[in-house]
Amino acid sequence: LPKSFYTWTRDLHLYFGLLVSPFVVVFAISVFFLNHARLPAPDSATTTAVTRSVQVPVGIEQAEGKERVQLAGQILSQVGVAGEINFIRSLPKEHRLIVPVVKPGVEITIDVNLKEQTVTLSERRTAFWERLSYLHRSPGPHNAAIRGNWFWTRSWQWLADATVYLVLFLSITGVYLWVVIRSERKVGLILLLTGALSFVGIIYAVVA
Amino acid sequence: MPSSPSQKMEVWNRKAHFYLGLYFLFFLWLFSFTGLLLNHPQWRFAQFWPERKETHYERPIQPPSSVSELDRAREIMRELNLAGEIDWPAQKQAARRLDFTVNRPGNTNRVSADLVQNRAAVQQIQINSLGVMNVLHTFSGTRINNPAATRDWTLTTIWVVAMDALAVGLLLMVLSSYYMWYRLKHKRRWGLIWLGAGVLSCSFFAVGLGWLR
Repeated sequence: LPKSFYTWTRDLHLYFGLLVSPFVVVFAISVFFLNHARLPAPDSATTTAVTRSVQVPVGIEQAEGKERVQLAGQILSQVGVAGEINFIRSLPKEHRLIVPVVKPGVEITIDVNLKEQTVTLSERRTAFWERLSYLHRSPGPHNAAIRGNWFWTRSWQWLADATVYLVLFLSITGVYLWVVIRSERKVGLILLLTGALSFVGIIYAVVA
Repeated sequence: MPSSPSQKMEVWNRKAHFYLGLYFLFFLWLFSFTGLLLNHPQWRFAQFWPERKETHYERPIQPPSSVSELDRAREIMRELNLAGEIDWPAQKQAARRLDFTVNRPGNTNRVSADLVQNRAAVQQIQINSLGVMNVLHTFSGTRINNPAATRDWTLTTIWVVAMDALAVGLLLMVLSSYYMWYRLKHKRRWGLIWLGAGVLSCSFFAVGLGWLR
């Protein structure tokens, strides 16, 4: 292969690696919080409750899925709340809707009283570790029909996907850059095989 | 041959970077691929749940002699030849019953044991290999929304250690890449621009969004 190919690959490996490195750090650090959920404990849990009057959009009780989320979004803008609507829980007998809204750093629960046209807001500032683990899990597979109802959740999804594609690019170019160094082939191959064996061995033990 | 300490450091730093990368290559590919699948549940090829196979069976069991629920569940699992991580239902156990789920990637067994009749009913759910990969991504025996859930299967702990090791490996690779870049004087300026773009965009999501109204 021409030298320019090697130079280009090396430079792209370096620059794309630097670009994606903060995202890799976020995903890697949050693994410890997700794997060891009891450590460390959330350190900034504060709850405040405020009640305000709002104009409840017509038909929100009957609406479902995305349509209901859109109507709930109108309530959010009236009370100045922005974030991803996690889900909407309906309590028809009490004429209430519970709308949890999340974003990195904040969890807000909006309790809508449909009869009195009021909302009660409860806000919890989340710890830094919780923010990272939220980003790690976002948008995720749950409530797929309504997920990504906030612009910044969709943006993060795009960035998380880009992180994966760049990491795959970096791993492939990394293998190429290793193969080029002849003196390192033997040790590298041993490590590659050891890694493959431990990968297959652990998965076989856990799954089979 | 490198002579000065900084040259030796440079050589070993580079070696560590690609040695770690080569060792963790397959782990990294698994978590990258399943990360995409988890972020795109609407992708048709990734929908493993509708393809699941469910079976039900009932077996007589010996009444468990242990005191704790965990040990009783383990006794029943031994009789039913089941192994995996035990998941407890949210509600309290009914009198003279023991209900729990035994999970391992690809295989879920919901056990309902009647301790009066000494019989256990099992609902077994098996998912395909794409589903197994998906479960491996999140299989830690703990739940962020349930701090009471603890790991109780040795193989879960081994898998969690593997996930932690990958995370440590990635962090070390990031640090070693910063050192390699720092040593390339003529690439510092462009590198700073690329790194700055990454830091700014990532910080916006990790810190800035919390303050956005």
